[in-house]
Amino acid sequence: MSAEAPPAVQMLNVQIDGTWMQFPKGTRVIEACAQAQKFIPRYCYHPKLSSPGNCRMCMVELGMPKMTPDRKPVLGPDGKPELNWIPRPQISCAQDVSEGMGIRTDSPMVQECRKGVMEFLLINHPLDCPICDQAGECRLQEFSVEYGDSGSRFLEHKVKKPKNVELGPRVTLDAERCILCSRCIRFMQEIANDDVLGFIDRGSFSTIACHPDRKLDSNYSLNTVDICPVGALTSTDFRFKMRVWFLKETKSIDVNCGTGCNITIGSRGNVIYRITPRENNEVNSVWLPDSHRLNFKYLFRGDRLTMPTVKAEPVEWRTAIAIAAELFKAQPAAAMALVASGRMTNEELFLAKRLVATLGITKFDIVPRKGESDGLLISEDRNPNTNGARLLGLTGTRPGAKLKKIAEGVDTGEIKCVITFGEDLMRAGVIEAGPPRATIVAMDILPNRTTTHAAVVLPASGWAEKRGSMINVKGRLQRLNQAVTAPGQARDDWEILRDLIQAVSGSNGIAGIEDVFKAMAAEVPEFADLSLSKIGDLGLPVLSMKERKDKAAEVQVG
Amino acid sequence: MKIPVDLATKIEEAISHYPASKRSASLPLLHLWQGHFGFVSDEAINWIAAKLELTPINILELVTFYPMFRRRPIGRRHIRVCRTLSCQLAGSYDLKERISKAAGIDLEKWAQDQHDGHGDAVAVSPDGRYSIEFVECLASCGTAPVAMVDDLLKETVKVDEASALLKLRESDATTPRVRKPHPREKRLVFKNIDRRGWTSDLDCYLKDGGYKDLKKALKMKPEDIVEEVKKSGLRGRGGAGFPCGVKWGFIKRGGPKPTYLICNADESEPGTFKDRYIIHQDPHQLLEGMIISCYAVGANLAYIYIRGEFPEGAQILEVALAEARAKGFLGANILKSGFNLEIYVHRGAGAYICGEETGLIESLEGKRAYPRIKPPYFPAVLGLYQCPTIVNNVETLCDIKHIIALGGGAEYAKLGKPNNTGTRILCVSGDVQKPGYYEVEVGSITLGELIQDVCGGLKPGRQLKAVIPGGSSAKVLRAGDKYKLKDREIALEDIPMYFDMLAACGSMAGSAGVIIMDDTRDMVEALNNINEFYAHESCGQCTPCREGSLWMKKITDRILAGGGVERDPDILKGVADNIAGKTICAFGEACAWPTQSFVTKFREEFASKASKPLPPPMPPEYNPDELIEKETIEVLHDARTGSPLAPAALK
Repeated sequence: MSAEAPPAVQMLNVQIDGTWMQFPKGTRVIEACAQAQKFIPRYCYHPKLSSPGNCRMCMVELGMPKMTPDRKPVLGPDGKPELNWIPRPQISCAQDVSEGMGIRTDSPMVQECRKGVMEFLLINHPLDCPICDQAGECRLQEFSVEYGDSGSRFLEHKVKKPKNVELGPRVTLDAERCILCSRCIRFMQEIANDDVLGFIDRGSFSTIACHPDRKLDSNYSLNTVDICPVGALTSTDFRFKMRVWFLKETKSIDVNCGTGCNITIGSRGNVIYRITPRENNEVNSVWLPDSHRLNFKYLFRGDRLTMPTVKAEPVEWRTAIAIAAELFKAQPAAAMALVASGRMTNEELFLAKRLVATLGITKFDIVPRKGESDGLLISEDRNPNTNGARLLGLTGTRPGAKLKKIAEGVDTGEIKCVITFGEDLMRAGVIEAGPPRATIVAMDILPNRTTTHAAVVLPASGWAEKRGSMINVKGRLQRLNQAVTAPGQARDDWEILRDLIQAVSGSNGIAGIEDVFKAMAAEVPEFADLSLSKIGDLGLPVLSMKERKDKAAEVQVG
Repeated sequence: MKIPVDLATKIEEAISHYPASKRSASLPLLHLWQGHFGFVSDEAINWIAAKLELTPINILELVTFYPMFRRRPIGRRHIRVCRTLSCQLAGSYDLKERISKAAGIDLEKWAQDQHDGHGDAVAVSPDGRYSIEFVECLASCGTAPVAMVDDLLKETVKVDEASALLKLRESDATTPRVRKPHPREKRLVFKNIDRRGWTSDLDCYLKDGGYKDLKKALKMKPEDIVEEVKKSGLRGRGGAGFPCGVKWGFIKRGGPKPTYLICNADESEPGTFKDRYIIHQDPHQLLEGMIISCYAVGANLAYIYIRGEFPEGAQILEVALAEARAKGFLGANILKSGFNLEIYVHRGAGAYICGEETGLIESLEGKRAYPRIKPPYFPAVLGLYQCPTIVNNVETLCDIKHIIALGGGAEYAKLGKPNNTGTRILCVSGDVQKPGYYEVEVGSITLGELIQDVCGGLKPGRQLKAVIPGGSSAKVLRAGDKYKLKDREIALEDIPMYFDMLAACGSMAGSAGVIIMDDTRDMVEALNNINEFYAHESCGQCTPCREGSLWMKKITDRILAGGGVERDPDILKGVADNIAGKTICAFGEACAWPTQSFVTKFREEFASKASKPLPPPMPPEYNPDELIEKETIEVLHDARTGSPLAPAALK
């Protein structure tokens, strides 16, 4: 692909707090200040939404170059334009920088503006901090400390509004806390394409509402909770559960589909309390679908597999691995099959391939998961790592193409032993109801029809309990991190795989997850020179556009 | 839901007026529905939303924003009494009580249902025959107090006329009068108002030489007309006084987007009542001025945004437009000039903020009237439907016709003063013997001459106390004050009434709504009335005005109820200072200037009413009812720690 140089962007001279700097044309004033390490407080402005300019918190002092009668800037002794400072404060969120513009981010006028806006926002605001979920990540709190006044001179009755409104199945509204910034309305209109929110009544009595015949039930409704600067919109799931300052934040990747939205896991102790989106402009911007965000509860189900079992009897890990290895060695390669998963990490897939190679298995594949794309963040590939499975050789151009043959093999008795990593063989159509014809060795996290019939069950880790990497549908390599530990005696999948390989073939010297990646990087050119830490928090593109296109085309054709 | 055929036809007709966006038909459809069924039901909201391909919340937003729309049935006859300053000075509060009594309406019971102001302000009689509500300025202050019964207007309602009002059959808005102008007047725009034998139909207008200025203009080049308007020095008559020619000069011709022109007939500034008469009595003058203006700026589609409380005016304009179309003054190829123009009437629904040009544009687009931020939404660049748009006041557009009639901008500029050219219609209300409208050459009359010579002076035995010279948004002027100019000092009575001079004296000419108050008037009450107006009319979009306007009203409410504390005048001023200059639109200044000026100029009145000493603020908050009931606020001390407590903490 030829690399054309992008058209040169015009750089403009802008003075911020006395220092002249340069910014590309088209930079918002508020963003220019941020780039200059001057944070401008704001409520209604959001970089991904339109700018209504209604909170008035981002006001700064602006200056324009003095002009001669023939429209040329008057230059001062330093060769830079002399400035006329506009006596009225200007908002910084709705205007782009212009040549010779001056900005004062912290003058007495600006400080007075901020104090005034803070006072106005607090006069009708309820004293809810002790019971409000937003405490600890609330902009009213933060900006009040930074820019507000400590006393109150409000002696009147506050305006009362509805306090516990079920706006939708997942969002609860406290209308009194709302500062009417309109972020939620704009999000639903501009991003979620579901115009259900609006303002009713007028003036100080204005209230956020959903029309009574509709609900805020879009699959992106919880993003409004993220962007609400105060505790007006709260997640019904997370409401009153945990104070945010207790949450440990772990950066990871959503595994509910191939988009691979970047997320932050909020956990305390060994419990996950909430998941929020993380900004990655190459993947999900700052958004996350509700269905994916809330799908972590299953990791804490009471029936998690916690003990390795052989014929349903709990045994020690050594025993389980040894017996599994026996079962593998007892069969010729032609009588074995491996059903891997598009939900395994690259490291796990790499080791699974090694196991396959060691045992000489030729009948292997992953289980495909397809659904309808929602046109936004939910990919039609509901496996998070199909690309990884392809790259590491555990599936071909059409994932799941070999499953039919494996099913037939099991039926006829040709295949006597099926290994499954994280998939329910009955759901995949490989085995039928009733006692299975083949011996099953299953590695999984929750009981299902396969594990109940498996000869050996090896309890593994959920996605929030492991570190590893995955490749999303766009060919981006991204990293999962461990937030909580697996329950009971369940172990990390890659360790189980390593032990199986060791039991089958002799030693192989992999000590840590980083070593797995190193070994993988040595064999797979797309990972050359990389390590788990080099992937970074935002991931890296590893499959080229052409490769992705080819693979995508193959899927369609095959 | 079955819609009757005639209503369905009117609905389709209304939608056809907005080719660029169906959403604009939201308000017209709501008016049509309410006109037919009496109120806007939940079903109506869904039906209209579906019809215009919107979501129901889009319509619910409008129904709750514009007070003229009702969500439940009201009385078979509905009475609106004006609450704003001039009518209050003339006794409208007492009047409302009496009318309610005559109608059998229990106002106290309905007040309890108010729910903190969110609720419906309309009180209905138990037998369903009558309902009553206070509304804000009905733009008839010269004949205060006024009330509307359904669509009919009754001027100068006397208290003993309360029961007769319930049976009102004729409207004063459309009853012809004959009055001679005052000798100091120069009638240009108001030439035909109260003129003997004058009627609002086209024939009368044509007989008087009407539309010949349009013919003249169509023979000129549009750019030349803009030049004449620039030369004329005409300044907008809606309140801002922005030079009309400069505004028109912002329009870039030849762009890909169509240009629109909108007549701002949303006259709602308290104290102002001039556009009403032009619309009701001389509509063709407005149309002629509009057509000339559209030709000059290159607009082929124009709207008259008329306030919802002028239902008869809207009807009169519709008739006038039909007449003009029939005679070829509107439509395609007007008078064979090749110029096409269509004008439609668009009714508002009770929001003062629709008088703000970008608020008006948002309202015309079918949304809540939230003014737009400038930059970037300058109407001349990104106006109606993001296209270049000119918004001009009714009187201004009429002046355009007169510029052509007089022979050009230079001729017009001979009237009035440099930089303040032409004539202006001064609207005087309040404590004068002869309130009313008077069109004078700009700057040709001082305030004293206006009050004494033209308006017959104050009532016997009274002294002048305060003057609001330019609509309630203008800063109040105190009698006895002296104003320092560049070369001299002048007294209040000697201020000539024009833009630059009133600005130099610390106020503004604004919309020329002059409200006179004598020494029987309480300044705190006057400010409270004005504060309530702004608190009610604030659109709620931006923080300072939304929170501050209601706060200021609550403070003056509390002061009037006897709960004023020492620091209240300073708090009032501080709040107002935090609003002015910090908002999206000029409503911020409009609601802040009255408070700033009243508190500054009449400090001693506020100080005497707000005199309770208050200990320093401490948590929890003070209870305002306690401030009203108690003479002094005690400072209690926590028994254990000794730290100070406010009484509310003990509840």
